Amino acid sequence: MSVLEFEVRSGGTIRIDLDKCRACETKACVKICNSTGMGQILELKDGVPALKPTLEEVKRGACTEDLACELDCELYGKKAIVITLPLPKLDEYLEDLTATPTYLREA
Amino acid sequence: MARLLEHQGKALFRRMGIPVPAGRVVQNADEAIGIGDELGFPVVVKAQVHAGGRGKAGAILFAEDRDSLARAVDELLAKRINGALVNELLIEKKADVEAELYVAVTADPSTRQPVAIFSLRGGVNIEETAEAEASAVYTMPIDILRGFFYYDALNLLRRGWPLDSRRMFATANIYTNLYRVYREYDCKLAEINPLALTADGAVAVDARVDVDDDALARQTALDIEVAEEAGERAATALEITAGTIDKNDHRGSVHFVQIDPDASYARGEGKVPVGFDCVGAGTSLTTMDELIPLGYYPINFCDSSGNPVGSKLYRITKVIMSQPQIEGYVFVSCVSSQQLDNTARGIIKAFKELYPASGGQPNIPCVLVFRGAWDDVAIDLFKQHGISDGRWTRVLGRDTAEIEAAEIFDALYKEWKSETGGFE
Repeated sequence: MSVLEFEVRSGGTIRIDLDKCRACETKACVKICNSTGMGQILELKDGVPALKPTLEEVKRGACTEDLACELDCELYGKKAIVITLPLPKLDEYLEDLTATPTYLREA
Repeated sequence: MARLLEHQGKALFRRMGIPVPAGRVVQNADEAIGIGDELGFPVVVKAQVHAGGRGKAGAILFAEDRDSLARAVDELLAKRINGALVNELLIEKKADVEAELYVAVTADPSTRQPVAIFSLRGGVNIEETAEAEASAVYTMPIDILRGFFYYDALNLLRRGWPLDSRRMFATANIYTNLYRVYREYDCKLAEINPLALTADGAVAVDARVDVDDDALARQTALDIEVAEEAGERAATALEITAGTIDKNDHRGSVHFVQIDPDASYARGEGKVPVGFDCVGAGTSLTTMDELIPLGYYPINFCDSSGNPVGSKLYRITKVIMSQPQIEGYVFVSCVSSQQLDNTARGIIKAFKELYPASGGQPNIPCVLVFRGAWDDVAIDLFKQHGISDGRWTRVLGRDTAEIEAAEIFDALYKEWKSETGGFE
């Protein structure tokens, strides 16, 4: 499987499944990254998204983490992008929580 | 503000040459008895919690022998002090106190410089003393570029009390070292209350060290968990969680405080607890002012501003929605230059993750008001992702005032309650 994966400043990763991208007609991620994103880090190379800056530059903050690529890919592309933004302390909190969070309850 | 526990503060004092009683931290009676035998009785047993006023709250006990020590340890470990669980105790040799002083260095916002504060009335609440008898509290502003020297401390102490020379010199020495603690650890407050005068000299019986949380990036050796200032209580797990969001990323900020962590105040007042986020602290306050008279109580404060990246909104929305007591969510932006489409994307990603079955449509009443730069795009994104179509979601624009947002939420909540019965 062909994958583009990179780390972002806040601690997390963006993973793009390039096999899915090859079948994508819209390349919505590249469009939105270059139209709304201040970072404008994605470009098309050989028909799939590629990074303009280096991995190190992206990790230092070139990616502005607006999440637009993932959300537009979901709506208009092939659901090829997964942004993982861990919050370990929240996981610990939820593990220790005896009450059920609102979003898991039924009204 | 990052407040150190007493034993952590005393460790800094010790490092800077300020005398503190011999002691050790323990977690059970067996450890405590071992320390008691080592130090020699009587000893003092002190709950290590962030709450202030520990003496009045019964968090400090004395033990004359092994049996009374074991009882004191068991009693304190079973206690909550101002809501905080007691996990650690500091066992110290009891000092033979002849007199108690108050010495501190803190930041004076009115003059924007440090100020040294001294009083003979140590051991009691200094705020009460200052209010009841202002002449009993002596202050000296400190020029931060010049510093605070031994003779400055002597000048301050002379104003208060005709100390005998030996005690005056010892206290002045401690004072200058306390200023070193204040400066080197980027404190907002370095306080000894009381500084006990004994036959052997002076000793810091208590320690309060509050580190400026904006300086924690360079105070890594202190290993402090960052959280917003929450008064006298310890930071909650969710506040500590929220504190990690800005830790490695200074592109915008999220300030999260649980005003009513268990929603007991809201419930006691007959109000509905809601989760809350605003762009701009002023908008936050005005929106709260509109919600509360209608019967809703934001159990958290949150200001997500300074143009935070979308990932911050994603994370903080998950934090806010993880409060199990909330029965609604309100987001309001002030009219600002913040790029609100990025703000919206963060919230949308969080909603989609929390409510996968409904495609991100929450199961509680939610009102979101976007006013400012790119607000039309923000609103459109909620439509594109189908979240605005949710039965219990209203996404509004710049023509919505705070009072209208509150009224719309009120109407929505009543519909939700009437149709679903709400949460049991």
